[in-house]
Amino acid sequence: MTIRDTSDKATNSVSGRVLSRIRAHSDTLQLFGVLVVLFIFFSVTEDKFLTTRSITSMGFQLPELGVLSLAMMITILTGGIDLSVNATSNMAAVLAGLFMVKFIPKEAGEAQIVLYLGGALLVALLVGWISGTFNGLLIGYVGVPPILATLATMTLYTGISVGLTGGTTVTGFPKQLSVIGAQTLGGIPIPFIVFVALTILTHIFIYHTAFGFKARMLGSNPTASDFSGVNNRSVLLKVYMFSGVLSAVTGILIMGRTMSAAYEYGTTTYVLLAILISVLANIIPGFGRILDVFIAVLILQVLSTGFHMFLAGVRGSSFFKDFAWGVLLILIFIANYFIRGRRYQG
Amino acid sequence: MLNRIVKTREFIVFLILVALSVIVGLINPAFFSISTVFDTLRAAIVYFIMAFGVLPIIISGGIDISFVAIAAVTSFSTHMLLLKLGYEGGTLLYYLIACTMGLLAGLLNGFLVTRFNLPVFNVSLAAFTMWYGFNLFFIGATANFDLPAGTVGYYARFIITARDPFVGKTGLHVSIVYVVLIGLFIWWMLKYTTIGRGIYAMGGNREVAIRSGFNVPFITLVTFAIMGVLSAVAGVTQAFLSRYFNPVIFIGQPLDVLAAIILGGASITGGRGSVIGTALGVLLIQVINRALILTGIPVQWQRLVVGIILIVFTSIPALQERRARRIGHTTEAA
Amino acid sequence: MAEEILRAEHISKRFGGVIALDAVSLSIHKGETCCLVGENGSGKSTMIKIISGVYTPDEGDIYINGHHYKRLTPIEAIREGIQVIYQDFSLFPNLTVAENIAINEQLASGKQSVNWKEIYEIAKEGLAKINVSLPLDAVVETLPTADRQLIAIIKALLAKARIIIMDEPTTALTQREVQALFRVINELKEQGLSILFVSHKLNEVVEIADRTVIFRNGQKVLDQEARGLDIGTMAFCMTGRKLDTSAIVFSEVEEAAAPLLRVENLTLAHGFFDVSFELKPKEVLGITGLLGSGRTELALSLFGVLPADSGRIYIEGNEAKIRSISDAARYGVGYVPEDRVREGLFLEQPIGDNVIVTLIDRLVTKLRLLNSKAKKEEADRWIKQLEVKTPSGELPAKSLSGGNQQRVVLAKWVARSPKILILNGPTVGVDVGSKAEIHELIRNLAGQGMGILLISDDIPELIQTCHRILLMRAGRIVKEFQREEITEQALNAELVASATTNAP
Repeated sequence: MTIRDTSDKATNSVSGRVLSRIRAHSDTLQLFGVLVVLFIFFSVTEDKFLTTRSITSMGFQLPELGVLSLAMMITILTGGIDLSVNATSNMAAVLAGLFMVKFIPKEAGEAQIVLYLGGALLVALLVGWISGTFNGLLIGYVGVPPILATLATMTLYTGISVGLTGGTTVTGFPKQLSVIGAQTLGGIPIPFIVFVALTILTHIFIYHTAFGFKARMLGSNPTASDFSGVNNRSVLLKVYMFSGVLSAVTGILIMGRTMSAAYEYGTTTYVLLAILISVLANIIPGFGRILDVFIAVLILQVLSTGFHMFLAGVRGSSFFKDFAWGVLLILIFIANYFIRGRRYQG
Repeated sequence: MLNRIVKTREFIVFLILVALSVIVGLINPAFFSISTVFDTLRAAIVYFIMAFGVLPIIISGGIDISFVAIAAVTSFSTHMLLLKLGYEGGTLLYYLIACTMGLLAGLLNGFLVTRFNLPVFNVSLAAFTMWYGFNLFFIGATANFDLPAGTVGYYARFIITARDPFVGKTGLHVSIVYVVLIGLFIWWMLKYTTIGRGIYAMGGNREVAIRSGFNVPFITLVTFAIMGVLSAVAGVTQAFLSRYFNPVIFIGQPLDVLAAIILGGASITGGRGSVIGTALGVLLIQVINRALILTGIPVQWQRLVVGIILIVFTSIPALQERRARRIGHTTEAA
Repeated sequence: MAEEILRAEHISKRFGGVIALDAVSLSIHKGETCCLVGENGSGKSTMIKIISGVYTPDEGDIYINGHHYKRLTPIEAIREGIQVIYQDFSLFPNLTVAENIAINEQLASGKQSVNWKEIYEIAKEGLAKINVSLPLDAVVETLPTADRQLIAIIKALLAKARIIIMDEPTTALTQREVQALFRVINELKEQGLSILFVSHKLNEVVEIADRTVIFRNGQKVLDQEARGLDIGTMAFCMTGRKLDTSAIVFSEVEEAAAPLLRVENLTLAHGFFDVSFELKPKEVLGITGLLGSGRTELALSLFGVLPADSGRIYIEGNEAKIRSISDAARYGVGYVPEDRVREGLFLEQPIGDNVIVTLIDRLVTKLRLLNSKAKKEEADRWIKQLEVKTPSGELPAKSLSGGNQQRVVLAKWVARSPKILILNGPTVGVDVGSKAEIHELIRNLAGQGMGILLISDDIPELIQTCHRILLMRAGRIVKEFQREEITEQALNAELVASATTNAP
């Protein structure tokens, strides 16, 4: 019984269609623009920036946060959030680490060690799968709001890691593990290959499977998806499982780089950075491009590395990036406000 | 009247608090000692202040995590500034400068939210990383233990002291008085001012609040101003209680504080929440922490227990709501 | 005739190329209940918004209490005592009754502090005005719709209303609550207030109106004393045609065929009791009844949203255990909800994706990846088949008009070729033109062999689509109309009878 907003009709025209196409890609273009500008800026100002060495080192650093951001974004896409991602990665690493320390015999040969390593990775993935399942049950079946459920499980999973390790760092892993965290394949860091592969995999999951389609619909309007015969509970369960497994991969990457596992890696900022990346990539329930997440991760890394060089020799230079991220985020919000009008709602 | 109080979430939290205390007390009588009471309260002081500060934002329907960063940046930069100036006086100047900075930092958030129509959470996320980064890079990256002469004794300034059979002389820190005053102020503001009612109105139905004539942007600014100032108070107080200034203080704890507020009955989507509930929520978490020590649960398993308690606490209302929805179908939402 | 409080003269309003109101006049007198009746899109809402100052008319004059306005602002309208009670009531769900009632006064006073004693006094004073009692301490979200409406009325009274405009006030009320509302309206009338009661439910209009005004397609087609005005005349004025079903081609129900759906003694506590009926292939079976009669619960039960407590459901002769929506979908049951926006559509998502959401599991390649070609073909096919008017299936669903949105929701289920399609209020909020087209669509779908359950209280709609109609009252089926027994008078008589006997 209302007069429909006639302005909507504008999108019915052909020009409206072209416009909406451009709009659909404008986020990606905008982000890519920011990335290019930053990249050029640092390449010009810093001699060491555009070198194989620095590019490779970026390739080693960014996948951890990158994979964690994928884990975060798929939950935001369904209208939820997963605060437990980092706790999950640490728990996966701790359990896999304990598995290696406890079970690999001292006199084990090369082949045997590789076998055990495979086992350890399976343990990590299994832990991620189980913790994701638990999140999914709480959210999908018990009906706890995602922010509360994962806040609680974040504490629980960290608690398990602390409990099992007594708060200490688990070390003494076979050196073969470092393949995952510190080696390259054809000059490309292995963690980066993993990140790219998982980005593509996530993209396929979200945009090219029935499951991903349902997850996006659910994010848009959970009541309507329910009434369309979508099993919301099971979709949510799978989304959080997927998130848990991706988190576990992050745990493996951290373990491979540091050759250790502890409850506290990244705890202060990784979760918030993962959310920040989703915000930067404009992931909202029902909509979001995995490519944007990928670019957002690159932006953060370029900023981080760039400022690190820019301020080399300055005390505490590595902290400038945190400041810069915050400022950049605010600037992007404001730019969006002017570009898109008042699309954000508080 | 009594019937209504009994049904509130606050009362349930209170009951759990009492029950937990009794159980712990039975296992370890040391829990009932005066020193435990004083120590628990002392540990809770800064959390009370931060939770009170962010509560109005939660009630108005926003989620903020930047309050910890504001606590850190205001306290630490105030300290480094006064240190440079060779200040040797008391605590008052610390509070004045930090609160002014906190006010400005809070207003900056509020300005971004209202002027550019941004989600509170997104802005707070940016502010969180920005202020910690600012602190670490521009102010200093290491903790500082040089307290001005006038403030050194503050950590042991008690309003009451008592003799405790287990630990000897013990006292209740004077800053608990601030906590009470701040709590009373927020309670009064929420209940007896038009702005306070506007905060609830916004959380209940933002559109209607605007339509009814509440000045929603102004109210938003007020909630952020309060958050900024009280975060500063919490930051400075924590520094004096622990006798050092830390640039990354509270960095891992914004979600813990929010958890306490929600345990105390506030709704994460806004419209619901109270000072007394928040105080009980903060206290409950502190008592759980202490109880875990006193009941002999190994320190390393304590966080796990807290996690389980949180899960139980969040699941029960969710299940209740699910059942209520099932029964309520006859009101016909058609 | 009593003193005239408001007169809107020769009001015209256009939106783009659409004429919403065409030189329409309306006057309201002191102490009368004026019913404004019309189908969706007739211009009722536009008129409300013009006399409350929300819209400025393109042409025409407004006189209120003798003051002349060329352009009326909302503030001026309120100052003149015009209060609109919208369907959402504009309340704060988390605040108490007392505070909701008193909040406008608090804000208007400009006071920065809150005196709770005063709030309660204001609230009590408000309740006394319409002689009702409500728990002042209760939080509004815990109250039933009817009580919330009373609060909204009290708020209007405290704002010194002289004319209260109620926009479809009975939509979410049970019959008993409607009666209570009518008592309040009569009380207000006695106090000298004027009510503009906007509705399309003719049985209610008959009961409450002093004067009836009917709009159709932006014009006033009737304005007279309510006494002596019968439902048939009003219905004719509203639709502009005598309901003539002789030209309508109904599909031939296969009487000999085994029933598609057989329901036996189905019961849901607080919903419906001991419901039994059959649905044959190619049949459109209407289920009607007032709000609270159990018709929506029955539909939701068959669709697995509210699984029944006892009784049996047979689909094509085999017992069907429907405990969830997925079960229902598997048995070939589809459901088009009444609340299109909330339950039916993904407004921001592409139209095509809205259509294929029910079949997405089938649109995959051997590798279990989505087959984007099949996706597009399927979407385009159903968009075309159901004549959704859009330049592209990639536009968001919110770009469509109400009628086209409804086609999308229909397409979503039709695409799955269900055996049984349940339609709950399929033309609510759809304009008259699209309405007839959707009715034709429903008949065609039945002709293709589907069995259709049509839940509706729109009598012309039932007449134009149904082979048989079941009437529900207080959760039970109380009457069955065969095709030849279905007439407007008979249905109306029964519905009105429900209204008066329904109150337990």
